[in-house]
Amino acid sequence: MAENKVATKTEAQDLQKQEHQEERTVAGRFFIPQTDIVENKESLVITMDLPGVKKEDVNVKLEKNILEVEGRIDYAPYEKLNPVYTEYNIGNYARSFTVSNALDTSNIEAVLEEGVLSLTLFKAPEAKPRVISVK
Amino acid sequence: MFGKLSSELDIAIQKAVEQARDTNYFETSTTGHGVYPFINLFEKEGDLVLATELPGVKKEELTLEVREDVLRLAGARKIEYGEDCSCHRLERKLLNFDRSIKLPFRIEGDKIQAEFKNGLLMVILPRAESDKPKQIVIN
Repeated sequence: MAENKVATKTEAQDLQKQEHQEERTVAGRFFIPQTDIVENKESLVITMDLPGVKKEDVNVKLEKNILEVEGRIDYAPYEKLNPVYTEYNIGNYARSFTVSNALDTSNIEAVLEEGVLSLTLFKAPEAKPRVISVK
Repeated sequence: MFGKLSSELDIAIQKAVEQARDTNYFETSTTGHGVYPFINLFEKEGDLVLATELPGVKKEELTLEVREDVLRLAGARKIEYGEDCSCHRLERKLLNFDRSIKLPFRIEGDKIQAEFKNGLLMVILPRAESDKPKQIVIN
């Protein structure tokens, strides 16, 4: 049975949610949100898909080079609903990344819009590319 | 199930039938039986409620249509980054979707309510009056 499941799901596999395997002290399932990490001259931009999460329920923490993002969803719309046909799982989101020293830890911008969280981590002034002129 | 007497064909048919009705709701990853966008259909007091996660899709680019008992969901999501960037990780995909779902009963078109908040689309689909079962009195 296991082999057949993998074969038919390969097309949609990229879009499925992966469960976060860490043990937690809070009740509720955690999934890994899809993330894009893009770097430009001044900053590192991290974009994560967090549908169903409100601004107040997002926790972003940067400590000792580890960036941790956690988003709890609002279970209120799901009360009193009985599932009839399901294709995806509903749960909270969490992901952590190890980031380099070259980031300015006091200057992080976070914007949550339409279920997409954009984190802009500015690079520390020393890490910006510097042009060295040769005399 | 019946020991080694089952033929290969029987086993294949059994697996296909079970798979068609299988759901991974309680497992770690999602089913992916359907096409994107994945939907969850719920029932509440006789009405259907559809839930879909569409992060990054704007309301203006989303089309939601209902005709009798078929629901159509279409839209697009663009992802753009500047030219001078180096991409370390790109997991989010550009999406164009158009999906029609057949519902178990006809819907009352005028009473549909749809809410799109935080990337989560919730549509309440009330059953059409003409489609509700009627009690038959037996003499």
